[in-house]
Amino acid sequence: MGAERDRRWSELLRAANRGDGAAYAAFLTEVAPVIRTVVAGRGRSLGAEVEDVVQEVLIALHTKRHTWRESEPVAPWLYAIARYKTLDAARAGRRRGQMSPLDEAAEPADERLPEPGAAGDVARLLARLGGGEGGRAARIVRALGIEGRSAAEVAAREGMSEGAVRVAYHRAMAELKAGAGATEREP
Amino acid sequence: MTTEELIAELSKRPAGAKPPAPMGRALALGLAAGLAVSVALFLAVLGPRPGLLGLWADPLIAAKTLMPLAAACLALTALLPSVRPGAALGAGARALWLVPALAAGLFALAFAGLAPGERLATFIGHSIQVCLPAISLLSLPLTAGIVAALRRGAPEHPARAGALAGLVAGGLAAAVYSTFCTEDSPVFYAVWYSCGIGIATGLGALAGARWLRW
Repeated sequence: MGAERDRRWSELLRAANRGDGAAYAAFLTEVAPVIRTVVAGRGRSLGAEVEDVVQEVLIALHTKRHTWRESEPVAPWLYAIARYKTLDAARAGRRRGQMSPLDEAAEPADERLPEPGAAGDVARLLARLGGGEGGRAARIVRALGIEGRSAAEVAAREGMSEGAVRVAYHRAMAELKAGAGATEREP
Repeated sequence: MTTEELIAELSKRPAGAKPPAPMGRALALGLAAGLAVSVALFLAVLGPRPGLLGLWADPLIAAKTLMPLAAACLALTALLPSVRPGAALGAGARALWLVPALAAGLFALAFAGLAPGERLATFIGHSIQVCLPAISLLSLPLTAGIVAALRRGAPEHPARAGALAGLVAGGLAAAVYSTFCTEDSPVFYAVWYSCGIGIATGLGALAGARWLRW
């Protein structure tokens, strides 16, 4: 089954490299459950994050697809990427000290939201950013600052460049901090 | 965003708008640029010793240049595989140990051939304080060029890929430096060149851990 499956993946990915979007969608759809197995098996500490890491692996397959050579089998390449991204996510999780997302938001570090406050305050501050671009700034702050995602990942999801994501993030944080100062002065 | 939505999004762009140039070409460019800077730096500050070409007839003097060059070439063959997920490093990486083994052999022979009174003086030599910094510094432009090229890859072990880059850079840097150095006994160069290349390899590993993550 392994060789048969790999030949099919290889054909789909080759077609994708020639610009065949349907073949690419078929390939990604078929490998997603395989990736999910690898991620769930190797990253036991990830818990609810498994699906996030699966998506990260899919994005990595996409951005690094030139590192697969058409003469080589697909599975070892795919598994190596899944292993790397799973380990990376597990390491990032340990660095965050297994805090829940809310704990992390309440951590009074420079790049964090200004004053912890209740979750409602945070939501209200985020809502303020909602205007203009249909809440994109709020989504970026939530993804980068609270969920701890990478700028590259957010960039891929929002269809922006990595630099633009960072700029938007810092601009939004500055606005939030200014806004929080104003809120404190209010009764 | 659900995984299905992500897949739908990604499959709108099956092939990149412009396919990335082969990594081999980027590596060749990075390596050439790094080497050009290193050699220019070497010529500006140190320069080759007089009568170099004639001296290469002595195999022990030629080996001083050829052995680091061999290490660099062997490590070079493993560079691209090291940034391709799931690829084996290949025969070049497996043969790498031959170079330090040969260096150890030359060291032992030369050591045995020296009078006991000369051994320590030859080992210490008179240029360690030039040799180690020079090899380390000359390796840096090369490491930078190689690592910059490898960033387009996807190393499963970023520090290892960086170490290989540092080994290529250190080997080339030592080969360049060897044309200046007048310490021609393996009792000196087998040890101190190896140390210089080792420092370059370590710096490469640090660079890889920092800049080759993806």
